Amino acid sequence: MTKKSGKMDRNNIGKWFKSPGNMGQKYSLHALYFCTGCGIIEIPPTITTRWDAERFGVIPVATPRQANLFLITGYVSVKTLRYIIRSYEQMPEPKYTVGFGSCPINGGMYWDSYNTIKHLDKYIPVDGWIAGCMPRPEAVFVAVTHLWTLIDKGMATGYLKYREHYAKYRRNQEKILGELEWPPLFSKEEENEKSREKVAG
Amino acid sequence: MVLVLQILFVSILACLVGLFLIGLSRKVTARIHWRYGPPLSQPFIDIVKWFSQTAVSHGKLFDAGMIFSLTGSVVVVLFLPFGGICPLSGSGGLLVILYLMLIAPLGIALSAGESANPHASIGVSRKMQLAFGYELSLLMILLSLMTYYRTVSIVDIVETQIQAGWSLVQLPLVVSGLAYLLIMPAIMGIRPFEMIQAPQEISSGPMAEYGGKFLAFATLQHAFNIYIGLSLFVNLFMGGGSNAGYFLIKLLLAFMVFQVVHAVWPRFRIEQAVRYLWRWPALLAFIGLIIVWVTTS
Repeated sequence: MTKKSGKMDRNNIGKWFKSPGNMGQKYSLHALYFCTGCGIIEIPPTITTRWDAERFGVIPVATPRQANLFLITGYVSVKTLRYIIRSYEQMPEPKYTVGFGSCPINGGMYWDSYNTIKHLDKYIPVDGWIAGCMPRPEAVFVAVTHLWTLIDKGMATGYLKYREHYAKYRRNQEKILGELEWPPLFSKEEENEKSREKVAG
Repeated sequence: MVLVLQILFVSILACLVGLFLIGLSRKVTARIHWRYGPPLSQPFIDIVKWFSQTAVSHGKLFDAGMIFSLTGSVVVVLFLPFGGICPLSGSGGLLVILYLMLIAPLGIALSAGESANPHASIGVSRKMQLAFGYELSLLMILLSLMTYYRTVSIVDIVETQIQAGWSLVQLPLVVSGLAYLLIMPAIMGIRPFEMIQAPQEISSGPMAEYGGKFLAFATLQHAFNIYIGLSLFVNLFMGGGSNAGYFLIKLLLAFMVFQVVHAVWPRFRIEQAVRYLWRWPALLAFIGLIIVWVTTS
C-alpha cells in the first residue's frame, strides 16, 4: 500500500459536502460474495472477529439488490457464470466487481479445464483483481483501499463500461451459454450498437 | 405554529435518535464480539450511499407501500411524549397508538408482497405470526396499565409517574412490567426474534428486493420502529421524562439492556418464538392483569 492510495478520509467533512455520492460509495461497500470456489473460505475470517471488515464499512449482504461490491471468490464454471451475470445485472448502479484469486483472472489451476471460464472480464466488467492462490484476508483490505482510490479518481467505471459495450458482453455471454432466457438489460444500447455496425459495415 | 415546530422537531429528532441507536447497536455488538466495529456514523453513511444509487421498483404498490409504512411510523411518533413534548396529545392516547402501530408493518407487507419474491413473502408471514404472538401480551399489559391509572391518555400516565415513581417498581405493575421486558425484543424485531429478516436463511426477508433509495427508506422506517418500541416502554414503565435530555438517557439505558441480549443470543425459529410468547410473557401479563384488577377494585 503506497502512501497516496488507501488513505482513510472518512472524517473529512469538506469532502462529504463536495461529493457525497462518491464518499458514500467508498465507505459503505456492501459486498455480495459469490461463493464459487475455495476463495470463499477466506471470507469468514475477513468479516468476523479476526480481521473485522466492518470497521471499513464492508459488510456482507444477502441479496444482489442491496449490494454494490461483487466479489467473485474463485473459479467460475460455465454453470455458475449464468448466475453471476444475473446477480451482476440485478445490482443497483454504481457497482464494483473484484475478482478474487487467480482463477477468475486467467483460469489459474483450471487453465485447461473444459467447463471453466478462463477470463471473467470477457463476460462482466471487472474493476480490480486480487492475485494469489489463495490471497490472504489482508489482500482483501488492500483491494478495498485500492478500490477507494479508484472511486476517488473516477476510474472504477466498470458499470459504465457494461452499459456502453453491452452488446459485446451479451454476445460473449451467448457464445458460451447459448441462448439467454432473460431479456437484454439495456435493449436500446444494443440496438444502437447494431445500427452503428450496419453503418460501418 | 408551535404545533408545526413541535411536529418537525419530534419527528426529525426521533429519526436521528433511531439512526444513532442503529449505529450504536452495530458498535456495541462488535465490541462484545471483540471486534473494533464500524464508526457510529455508519448508518448515516449507508443512507447517503443508498440515496446516490439507482433503484429498481417493482410496481406502484412497491413504492406506495414504503411511503405508507414510513408515514405510519412518523404519525405514531407524534403520539408518543418526548420528554415534556407531545405534539398530538389531545386525542385517543394508547388506543390510537395501538391501531396506528399496525400501519407500518402493513405497509412493508404490501410493498414486499408486490415484489413477488418468495423470501419476502416468507418474511412477511413470519412478521405477521410474530405480531400474533406478542400482541396478546401487549394488549393485556396495556389493559392493566389503563385499569391501574384509570386513563387511556399516555401523557396522563407519564405525569402520574413523574409524581408517584416508575410503574416498573410499583407493586401491582411489576409483573406486567416483566412481561413487557420479555416481549420487547419481539416488538423491536431484534435477536432472539430476528427471524423476520434472517439474512442467512431467507435473504433478509421483506428487504430482499429493496435496493437504493428503497433500502434507505426501509432503514429510516426501522430507525423509527426502534424509537417507537423503546419510547413506548420508557413512557409506560420508566416514567417518561420531565425533559428531553432525561428522556433520551432513559431511552439509551433501555436500549443497552436489549442490545446485550441481541449481541449474544441466537435466533428462535418462528414456531419456537410463538410458543415462547404465548407461554411465559402471556402468562405473566395475565397474572399482572389479575393483580391490578384485584388491587384496584
